[in-house]
Amino acid sequence: MMELRKSLAGRIALTAIATVILLFLALPIVVILVTSFSNNAFAAFPPEAWTLNWYKALFADGSKWPAALSLSALVAAMSTVFSLIIGVTAATALVRSELPLRSAVFALVLGPLVIPQIVTALGLFLLFEPAAMLGSPIAIALGHTVLASPIAVLILIATLRGIDERLEDAAASMGAGRLTIARKITFPLAAPGMIAAAIFSFITSFDEFYISQFLSSVDTVTLPVQVYNSLTFEIDPSVTAVSAILIAFAILALGLVALVRWLGSGRQESLLSVENTVGVANPGGEAV
Amino acid sequence: MAATLTANAPARPRKLLASRRTRVGIVYALPVVVYLLVLFVYPIFSTLLLSLKDADGSFTLHWYADALTGVNLSVLITTLRISAETAVLSLVFGFVLAQAITRLRPVWAGLAMLVVVVPHFVSALVRTYGWIIMLGDKGLVNETLTAMSVPGAPFQLLYNELGVVIGTTSMMLPYTVLLLYGVMRGVDRRLLAAAASMGAGRVTIFCRIYLPLVGPGLASAGLLSFILSLGYYITPALMGGPKQTMIATLINQQVTKENQWNGAAAQGVILLLLTLAGLLLVKLVSSLGASRKKRSAS
Amino acid sequence: MADFGIAAPSVKVADGKSATATGKSLSVVALRKTYGGVVAVDEASMEIEAGEFVTFLGSSGSGKTTTLMMIAGFCEPDSGTITVGDRDVTRLAPQKRGLGFVFQQYLLFPHMTVSENVAFPLILRGVAKNEIRRRVGETLEIAGLSGFGGRKPRELSGGQQQRVALCRALVYRPPVILMDEPLGALDKKLRDQLQVEIKTIQQELGLTVIYVTHDQEEALVMSDRIAVMRNGLIEQFDSPRELFERPRTPFVADFLGAANFLPGRIEQHDGEHTLVRLDNSGGLITARRHQLAANTPVKVAVQPGRLRACAADDGFCTGTVETATYVGTLVRAGVRIDGGDGPLVRLEVPAGRGPVAGERVGITADPEDVNLFADEQAG
Repeated sequence: MMELRKSLAGRIALTAIATVILLFLALPIVVILVTSFSNNAFAAFPPEAWTLNWYKALFADGSKWPAALSLSALVAAMSTVFSLIIGVTAATALVRSELPLRSAVFALVLGPLVIPQIVTALGLFLLFEPAAMLGSPIAIALGHTVLASPIAVLILIATLRGIDERLEDAAASMGAGRLTIARKITFPLAAPGMIAAAIFSFITSFDEFYISQFLSSVDTVTLPVQVYNSLTFEIDPSVTAVSAILIAFAILALGLVALVRWLGSGRQESLLSVENTVGVANPGGEAV
Repeated sequence: MAATLTANAPARPRKLLASRRTRVGIVYALPVVVYLLVLFVYPIFSTLLLSLKDADGSFTLHWYADALTGVNLSVLITTLRISAETAVLSLVFGFVLAQAITRLRPVWAGLAMLVVVVPHFVSALVRTYGWIIMLGDKGLVNETLTAMSVPGAPFQLLYNELGVVIGTTSMMLPYTVLLLYGVMRGVDRRLLAAAASMGAGRVTIFCRIYLPLVGPGLASAGLLSFILSLGYYITPALMGGPKQTMIATLINQQVTKENQWNGAAAQGVILLLLTLAGLLLVKLVSSLGASRKKRSAS
Repeated sequence: MADFGIAAPSVKVADGKSATATGKSLSVVALRKTYGGVVAVDEASMEIEAGEFVTFLGSSGSGKTTTLMMIAGFCEPDSGTITVGDRDVTRLAPQKRGLGFVFQQYLLFPHMTVSENVAFPLILRGVAKNEIRRRVGETLEIAGLSGFGGRKPRELSGGQQQRVALCRALVYRPPVILMDEPLGALDKKLRDQLQVEIKTIQQELGLTVIYVTHDQEEALVMSDRIAVMRNGLIEQFDSPRELFERPRTPFVADFLGAANFLPGRIEQHDGEHTLVRLDNSGGLITARRHQLAANTPVKVAVQPGRLRACAADDGFCTGTVETATYVGTLVRAGVRIDGGDGPLVRLEVPAGRGPVAGERVGITADPEDVNLFADEQAG
């Protein structure tokens, strides 16, 4: 490997600065995880004493959190289903067919990812408000799907591209019909990508704030909107515990995607490699 | 197999096979196209119409005039300023971190990338809250500074522009690191060694060889974080004071508090146009980079 | 995907017994395919007997692969018919034809083990579990893959993967197995070894195989009959010996035998033979009897290996050896003919008795090895 030699001082300086930047990224998350077990839920770091009170308070009588959590879960589940249906069909159309206006369809799919979310949210508000659908979980789920489905499409495009279409020809040459090919060949090979698409659709909806904020009503408040409200209006120390749970949830989901990706790739590279991590972060990267 | 066959054929096989594949494509593209036309394109289109409509339904541009004067104008300028500051800072930090990751041993690089990627998927709301805890008068940062007897500590780090920029920069950083890491991996490091073999010094190599190679990537990453910051709402609203109101906050206020939909629509359209202009620039820059790469390859 | 079609193929092949019955196995009549006005395959017709190993030989763009794909059903002909046994399959989907196919890129299912890959077509046909296990084991053993059944395809070498692909195509005993350059991705040594293996298995099981390749040697080694294709046309469909010794067109003589072409005119017919006056040297060469009239311009074609060096002025022409390359058992010589400015005449003679550069030699050939073609270009 022909490379420039690195000076020791340069290396130390680079490592030190990189560490500071990494702390800059990691600390807000670590601080929340730690503070959620602290007896003083607001600021004051490091904690003076430890407690589980904030987690207990989440499920106390009169707490708004269980309702917000179940609404978010319901909405996210619906958006996941919608996104998967849209994702599978759209990826099939874009990868496995001769589609007229292919690039226009692709641009339409990318649209929600590049347009400011507040603009999308405003548009959806103007659509659902006259229909008296504000606060309806279905309206919120439909709105979230606008953001989640493009991600699912990109992931599934990359997945389908990775499956040699001629494997399907090979199965046909042995006598397999379309349905059998889909069930026995394409689906098992696409399964890791579909799981990743489902997980990312779910997180996207679960964490979504702008659309939820515009489409929520007094009775129907999703978890992120509830977090935002308790940070601005009502002082509720349990918000630290909720935040910690959201972090744990995100890490769990990412770990799951990494694992599925790693198993699906035949355990070729290490689970913790840069490539695997970047691949997880950028699941449809190759497609764009 | 049709694909491999058509590869050497001068034209696509017409007739049954082709028309069947086209039919399949149209049927399967329908859900996504219909969905996004109804729930994405149409709403944005009606936002545009609303921004051009007066109370009595006649055509007007006065919502735009409103949006570009007085307080609204200063909000727009604040938005552009904070976005620019965020873009520059996240570009610089992102460059250094991505550079470090390409040089680290694989295990450390993997871990560092993990620290970049995990926050990327943690809700921005939660991360903003983390910063609020950290930057408070009794937060981790001020406590540390006080303990080190830094003069002037504790500092006011929240509810001002400093707080907002710290917050938005940390939100944009994962994007720039991921983008720049990809760009840097694409640079053939042997070119640098080749320059060194001709007697070029470190600074010359960096300025004359490395920067031009990663330049278009840097520009795209900076522009993208600028565009993404423009529509940002959560962090400025929670970490800033009244002076750090950004355009997204204003849109939200007009809809939820003042019922001023037309004004909100006009501001939304302005935000949209700014974003599209930025995207056009990104496309221009990347095609410039692509043509440069092509020239160097030939 | 409007027609979620038949999952089970309509062709049921009899239990375990191969379709070795003699007689017509597959016939192709006037098959034609154009791509946007360019003819890819032009009126191809042939009949293939059961148990035959037939090769489509040609360079890329010759139409050999397109013909194979039309037989397999991956590509639809503009006109013509394809019959398997007594069944017209021209317009059937690939999965309803009941044929076997071995692809160049192996195309093993990556999520299945070797055994599962080979069992796949049997499962599609609803074969009983015990029977599947027996036949998969049997087939893997034939291909020398016993003990590999539990592995995933990516754990195998290229040669092993192609053996699995072969097993997968022959395990359900299709009446015809189609192979599209199956050895194209392998290195030379492995290719030679697998050529012999495939040929042996084909003969032992009495399989009917249609094989596509651009490699002349591969075609000659494996085939019972070869269809030499060019520009969508079948130039000649014959046994390797016929193609080699009795080429019907200059293209075949050149493609298979790398023949020397010498322009000349028919001088006279003499019983079994035809005498030709060569343009360049003015010498007289004796060829097999040909129908063309006297004084017709012709091309004389003789393969390098069928020319012999003799004493100067003894042969049909004389010249000076310009190049002599030792290639193991042979010497390849290039001879500049006296009075001629055409290309060197190429000879292959056994090493040891070979000519050396600068030597003057005569060239002679057995009349049986000399082929004549009407020369369309000459006036």
